[in-house]
Amino acid sequence: MTVLSRRQLLRYGASAVAFASATTTLSSFVFASDDEVTSGDPEPGVGGGDVEVDLTIQDVDYELIDGSTVFMYAFCINGAPPRIPGPVLRVREGRDLTVRLTNLSAHAHGFQVPGMSGSAIDTIAPGASATIEFTVGKPGTYFYLDPMFSPVNRVLGLHGALVVEPDDDSASSGAKMPYNPADATAAIQALFASFGASSRFPGNRWNESREKIWIFNQIDARWCQRAANGEIDAVAASEFANDFRPRYFTLNGLCGIDACHDKDTCPTGRIGEPLLLRCLNAGLACHSPHIHGNHVFMLSESKGASGVISYNSNVIERDVWRMESGTIQDCLLPFTAPPDVPPGAWPPKQEKFPLRYPMHCHNEISQTAAGGSYPMGLVTDWHIDGL
Amino acid sequence: MPLISRPIVDPAEYEEFGCHPFTDSPATPDKVARNVFIRRQVADFNVTMADGKIILFWGFKDPDVSGGDREWPSKLIRVKQGQVVHCEMKPAKNTHTIHWHGIEPSPYNDGVGHTSFEVKSAYTYQWMPHQAGTYLYHCHKNTVLHFEMGMYGVLIVDPVGTGTGANPKLAYDPRPGDSADGIQPGAPYAAESILVFDDIDPRWHTMDHNLGMCGDDVGLDRFEPKYFVISGVPNNKTQTDAKTAIKAKVGTNVLVRLANASYSRVGVKLPVDAWVVEIDGRPLRYNPDLGSYSKPYKISANTEIELATAQRYALWIPNIAAGSHSITGTFRHWVTNKMHPGGQAIAKIIAQ
Repeated sequence: MTVLSRRQLLRYGASAVAFASATTTLSSFVFASDDEVTSGDPEPGVGGGDVEVDLTIQDVDYELIDGSTVFMYAFCINGAPPRIPGPVLRVREGRDLTVRLTNLSAHAHGFQVPGMSGSAIDTIAPGASATIEFTVGKPGTYFYLDPMFSPVNRVLGLHGALVVEPDDDSASSGAKMPYNPADATAAIQALFASFGASSRFPGNRWNESREKIWIFNQIDARWCQRAANGEIDAVAASEFANDFRPRYFTLNGLCGIDACHDKDTCPTGRIGEPLLLRCLNAGLACHSPHIHGNHVFMLSESKGASGVISYNSNVIERDVWRMESGTIQDCLLPFTAPPDVPPGAWPPKQEKFPLRYPMHCHNEISQTAAGGSYPMGLVTDWHIDGL
Repeated sequence: MPLISRPIVDPAEYEEFGCHPFTDSPATPDKVARNVFIRRQVADFNVTMADGKIILFWGFKDPDVSGGDREWPSKLIRVKQGQVVHCEMKPAKNTHTIHWHGIEPSPYNDGVGHTSFEVKSAYTYQWMPHQAGTYLYHCHKNTVLHFEMGMYGVLIVDPVGTGTGANPKLAYDPRPGDSADGIQPGAPYAAESILVFDDIDPRWHTMDHNLGMCGDDVGLDRFEPKYFVISGVPNNKTQTDAKTAIKAKVGTNVLVRLANASYSRVGVKLPVDAWVVEIDGRPLRYNPDLGSYSKPYKISANTEIELATAQRYALWIPNIAAGSHSITGTFRHWVTNKMHPGGQAIAKIIAQ
């Protein structure tokens, strides 16, 4: 079954040539990292920058930290290996995103970007394809996911991050931000204006290369087996919230030492190189991520199915932030010198760079795998490489 | 069906990350002169629960104080902003660490095995808190078990300055240019309530020190709390025990410090209006020149605020009215968000 949006039908009807010339096709995608797809259009405000993505949904065996495998669903870009979470998609504010989705799974699936109207494909039968085109909304961090039997299929692997970048990314101070000035609150603008320009944040401005995406999830092998058996339906979905007993806890699909070693997960940098953390909880459990070494500044949040981003007017510093199921939060890791080292001991002479600190969920049950194996759960490190 | 494989990792590194963390007893690197010296040793504690059952806990004792080893959770540490603190920790048997939760020192002094070392025989931690506020300290070895076993205590960093008159203490030092709408700068107070919420699954309290580190399934994914305590007081006594039922003088300001040391989502409700004035050791105030972008906010009476595990909130109640005010904590499951059976504990402020 193929679903086409009314907009897309109109567009194809108007001019296929014009459509192609204004659109970034798959061949010109820039692979910014090994799991990322972004528009090839580098310049804001010069037109173009629309993005087309070919996604497929597949059934996969997923290898866990202890070597066991479970059945899961995965997104992939045509030709590339499937991934959990799916590849990062990047689109500039106000541009059109066209998703051509092919369902190679043995089960029906859907597609949606919560928070963006016109982004939903209700059902794609096994073997079928569907296309949806929609205009992306305000800058920030979104999920793309399968909303079917929500949140079951999302938790079972069908989720990824969609990043919307601002067209105008400069505050009145000239400081770059991940939001546009019309949306960013006074407090957010003041924070970004302070980097490299205040006594607390000597060093550099923030720039868009300083970013990590952290997607949290949990795995219950019993539910993976139910999915493999084709038992996920409305009745099963109604049991999910009370029956889900996760035994693996992942960060970007990885556990423990694997997440600590993953370059797309572990933030590194020098003092004075602030970094944006886009945090998404695809799972059902409520996480309590705790970071050592620096507090983070909470910038924006979207909760659950609405996906609507609120930009914080109260930019609170935390060392633990609360991530409910389906929640997305952007926060800023300032990369300052660890503030509670005595001045006489800084910079360290006997202790050597890089200074390594963990980020882990403080609900420590999440630090286990298969009932033990601490700390092979939801943890990564971040490194201060030098002054 | 395609297989998504996990990355290849050096087996020796895997082993050291998990099963056999690096242990050491080094001299403190980059050591400087201290203002405060504290000692902590690891000890066992027997604590009576609401139904009379005695449960084994682990914690830190202060060997310098007679009877100091009878206090669980571990004894409050209270230092002043700007003091260089040295804490000598001796695990006695097996390895342990102290992580100064919310304090951000160098990795050697951060107490995490996989980013530095676990303490074999002795280590002197060094840090200097730069900001007054509410913190914790806890063991960070096999943390899933050691934190549940009770190896934590409250750490409060007091400001340098003081309040005046009826409210002689400050939550933090106001700075030039700070704005903190709705509250008096520094949140001056007279009485203080320190409430650490914890839940206890007795099955976990029969486990061995290293259990669950080397690949065995020991059921650490299943946490079914039966007991609920505030600051170590079982919830049948929290409304009468002096630790959790504090007295305040009518018309003065009260500071309520909340911490969640449980593996539950903890909702907290007060019957009076309160202002959140500090979270995780950072005062809420606006002063971009000095790196602050937040502001205090009001929690209306009977509105619940939720604490994630290991979060701390300081609530400020100005001009407290006469009466017995209940502070109700509700413990909810971290996956289902349903209240645990019996999962409630109530503290009190008795204003006279």
